[in-house]
Amino acid sequence: MAGAQGQTQRRKTATHESFLRHRSFLFLKLATILTVGVVAAYLLQDSRPRPGGGTALGYVLGTAGALLIVWLALLGVRKRAVTDGHYSLKAWVSAHVYLGLSLLVIATLHTGFQFGWNVHTLAYGLMLLVIVSGAFGVWAYATLPKALSSNRGETTRKQMLAQLGALDEQIREAAQPLPRAEADIVRLSLEKTDVAGGFWRRLSGYYGDCANTRAIAQLAPALRAASGAHAQTLAKVEQLMRRKADALGLARRQIRITALLEAWLFIHVPATFALLAALTAHIVSVFLYW
Amino acid sequence: MTQAITLRLITRQAGGGEIVRTRRIDGAQALIGRDPACEIYLPDLAVDMQQARLQVVGENRVRIESLTGAPFTVDGKRVTQAELQPLRGSKVTFGAFDLLIAQGGDGDIAITVSRQEDDQGLSPSLFSLKAVMFGRRKMAWTLALSILALCLALPLAGSVLMSHLVIHPDRQWSTGPLSKAHAFLEKDCQACHQRAFVAVRDQACLSCHQAGDAARTARIDARVQRLGSPFLPLLVSDHAPHDRLVRAMPPPPTIRGRIGAVFETAMNHPSDRCASCHREHTTAPPDPAARATADILRPGKPALVVVRDCADCHSRLKMRLPATGLIDTPDWNRHPDFRPLVTTGFDGPQPRVQRVSLAARPLEANGLTFSHRVHMSATGGVARQGQVLGQGRGYGAALTCQSCHRPDGGGFKPIEMERDCGACHSLAFAQVGGQLKALRHHDMRDVAGVLRGAAPTPGAPSVDPAVLRRALAPGGLCVDCHTVRPSNGPLGGEVAPVHLADRALPWGDFNHAVPAHAGVGKGAAACADCHKAQASDRSQDLLIEGVATCKACHGKTEHDTAAAAGGQCSECHSYHQPGQAPRTGQDRLFTALGLPPGQKPRGLPTF
Repeated sequence: MAGAQGQTQRRKTATHESFLRHRSFLFLKLATILTVGVVAAYLLQDSRPRPGGGTALGYVLGTAGALLIVWLALLGVRKRAVTDGHYSLKAWVSAHVYLGLSLLVIATLHTGFQFGWNVHTLAYGLMLLVIVSGAFGVWAYATLPKALSSNRGETTRKQMLAQLGALDEQIREAAQPLPRAEADIVRLSLEKTDVAGGFWRRLSGYYGDCANTRAIAQLAPALRAASGAHAQTLAKVEQLMRRKADALGLARRQIRITALLEAWLFIHVPATFALLAALTAHIVSVFLYW
Repeated sequence: MTQAITLRLITRQAGGGEIVRTRRIDGAQALIGRDPACEIYLPDLAVDMQQARLQVVGENRVRIESLTGAPFTVDGKRVTQAELQPLRGSKVTFGAFDLLIAQGGDGDIAITVSRQEDDQGLSPSLFSLKAVMFGRRKMAWTLALSILALCLALPLAGSVLMSHLVIHPDRQWSTGPLSKAHAFLEKDCQACHQRAFVAVRDQACLSCHQAGDAARTARIDARVQRLGSPFLPLLVSDHAPHDRLVRAMPPPPTIRGRIGAVFETAMNHPSDRCASCHREHTTAPPDPAARATADILRPGKPALVVVRDCADCHSRLKMRLPATGLIDTPDWNRHPDFRPLVTTGFDGPQPRVQRVSLAARPLEANGLTFSHRVHMSATGGVARQGQVLGQGRGYGAALTCQSCHRPDGGGFKPIEMERDCGACHSLAFAQVGGQLKALRHHDMRDVAGVLRGAAPTPGAPSVDPAVLRRALAPGGLCVDCHTVRPSNGPLGGEVAPVHLADRALPWGDFNHAVPAHAGVGKGAAACADCHKAQASDRSQDLLIEGVATCKACHGKTEHDTAAAAGGQCSECHSYHQPGQAPRTGQDRLFTALGLPPGQKPRGLPTF
C-alpha cells in the first residue's frame, strides 16, 4: 500500500519536476556547500612554497576528485539498470550534474594552478572537456526537446522521409518528357540530394550547395525559354522540386536539432573513458616517482 | 527469315514478387529510349528519348548503336555501338535498366528488361548522429587504451628497459620544471626517484652533494659531469647531528600546518629530508628580493625553492634543545652580542678556551705580552726602529696593521715571530766568524739540549745556558713578549704556553677580503673601525667589537649608509657548511670566470 503510494508520488514528481529541479535543488545546494567549503579550505591552507597536489589539502582534493570522477562515470552503468526505490535515476542524474560541476572547482584547486605539458595536465584537460560537454548536454536536454517537437509538429520522422520519397517519385514521373539536358538537371535533384550529410553539416545546418537547390536554379533559364506543353512540364517539375526543398528544410532542421542533442554525448562518453585512463596514469605516475 | 524479338518486361512489386509481361516485336529492329513510342520503352531520366537502335543483322547477331551519341554499357563496358551474339548472352545497361539479350525459344531473340534494385529507401535512423559517427563505445575504448599505452605503459617500460634511449617517455610524468641547478637531470628521473613508491630520500641527494675526502669528491665530480652538469655540485656537511636537528625543528605553528604534517607522515613524506626544504618541480611565486639579473644563467629555469629558514629553528631553539649552548636568534635585529672563543688559561700545555660574551669584557690569557698601542704609534721607539730596521723588510716606516697581519683569502696568515717580530726582537745570541747565530723561535729542542749539556744536534747552534738564563730573567729577551713563570729548572724560569685563536667567532664567517670590510669603497669599514688596536696596551685585550658594529651596515638601507648590506643569516652563516659564510652567486661567478678552460666552478654561479 505504502509502496503503491510511493509509486504515485514518484510519478507525480516525474511529471512536474525536471532533473535540474529535483527535490527543490537538493544536489545544487549540496554541491554549493561542497564548493564553498573547498574554496575556503584552499584560501585558509598553509602550503609552502605554493599550493598543489602534494600538500595536505592537495591530497584531500585529489582523492575526493578521483572518487567523484569514478562515481560520475558510473552513471553510465546506473542508467542501464532499471531499478526503483528512493535513489531514482533522476536523483542520480541531478547529483551527476551538480556534483560534476563542483568537480571543476575541486580539481582546479587540486592543481594549485600549476599546469604544464604533462600527463597530469592532460587528465585535467580531459576532465574539462568532459565537464564542458556535459554542461552543453544539460543545456541541450533542457531546451532542445521542445524545439524538436515544435519543428516537426504532427509529422513523424518516418512521414518526413516518406514525403521526400513520394516527391522524388512524382518528380521522376513528371520529368519523363524532358529532353536529355533538362532530365540531367532533374536527376541532380533525384540522385545527388544528400538529406543529412556528415557531422559538421548536421551540426551547422548549412546545406547551401544542396543538389535540389542547384537543380532548381539550373532549371530556371529553361523554364523562362520554354513554351507550350514543355513549359508546363518544366513548371510542374520545378514546383515539385520546390516542395521537395521545403520538405528537406523541415527534415534537416530536425536532423540539426537531433545532432545538437546527441553531439555532446559523442564527446562526453569517449572523453570520460580517456579521462579515466589519464587519471590512472596520473595517480600511478605521481606515486611511482614520489 | 529474320529472327523475331521477344521482349520480357519484369516489374518488381513493392511487397516482393515480380510481374512478367511478354511482348513480341515484329520486325528486325527496335528503338530503345524514354519515349513511350519506343519499342523498348525505358522510363528513366538517364535514358535519352530515343537513345539507341537494336537491329537483328544476321543469324544470331544483333547490333545496338547509339542514336544520340550517349553511351551505354555492354557487360560493364561503355560503348556507343556493339554487335552481340544472343547465344552467348549479354547484359546491356541503359540508365537503371538492364537488358539481358539471349537466345529465346522458337529461335527468337529474347530481351529481358528489368529495372535495377533501387537503393534502400531512407531510414529514420538517418536522423541520428550515429549514422555518421564511430560508435561512442568504440571511440571511448580506443582513446582510453591509447592513453594507457602512451602515458602509462610506455613510460613504465621506458624507465625499466630503455633508460639509454634519447627519448625518455617518463618525462611526461614530470609535474614541473627542475631548478637551474638540477635542470641537467630532467631526462634522468631515477637520479632522484630511486625507489618506486617511496618519496625521494636524502641518500639520493647526498650521492652528489656529500662532503668527504678528495677521492670521494673526485668520484662525485666525475659522475655529475658525466650526467651533463655545467658545474660541480656544492658539497654539504651536517649542520648538526640528525637527532638534534629533528628535535630542534619546530612543529608547524598553525593548526593548518599541523594537519599538513600529519598528512606528510601518513603519506610517508618525512619532514626531515633534504627535499622537505628544497622543493623541486615547482615554480614558486617570484621572490621580490631576487635580482632581475639572477636569471642570466639558464634563463627561464626557476631557482631552487627553499621552504624553511634559520629562524624556524633558531628563534626558539633553547626551548626544544635545552642543552644547546646557542642563544635564540629570531632575527638579525635580535642577534645576541658576540661570544668570542677566549683562551681563559691552560691545563698543562693545553689551552682552555671558552665562549664568553663581549659584555663580560673577557680577557685573553694567551701567554703573551704585547701592546698594539706601542707598536702602532706613529712616533716613539718602535716607529723609529720600524723606519730603520724595517727598510730591509720592505716597509721602513712606522708599523701598520699589514706590517704583521698578512691577508690570506678572507682571513690572515698566522703571526710568525721570526718573520713578523724578528727585525727588532732579535734572537741572536752569539757571533761566530762575523755571522750572528740566532735561536730558532718555537723550537725548544736546541735549547733543551743545551740545558741538558748534551751535544747539540749537528748544525744546530749551541747556546750558553747563561744567555738563556739572562733571556728568561726579568728584563730579558723572552720576557719582552712572553709570560715567564718561575721554575725549579736550571734556568730559574720557563716560558708559559702560548695560544692565539685562529678565529674568535667560530660559527660566523667574517670575510676580510670583502671590499666593504677592507676599507674599499664609500662607507667601507677600515681595520680600526672594528679593532681598537691603537688604544690597546695589553695583549689580553680582545680586539673585536660587538655585533652593533656590524649593524652599522648590515640590515641598513642605502639611505642609511653607502655600504648598506643585507641582514640575512646567510650573510655570515651557512647551513650546509657550518662556520662558513655561503659563497654568493657573484663570488662564484668571478671564480668561474677565473678558472682555466675546461674546469667547472663548484656551485651555480649567478649574478
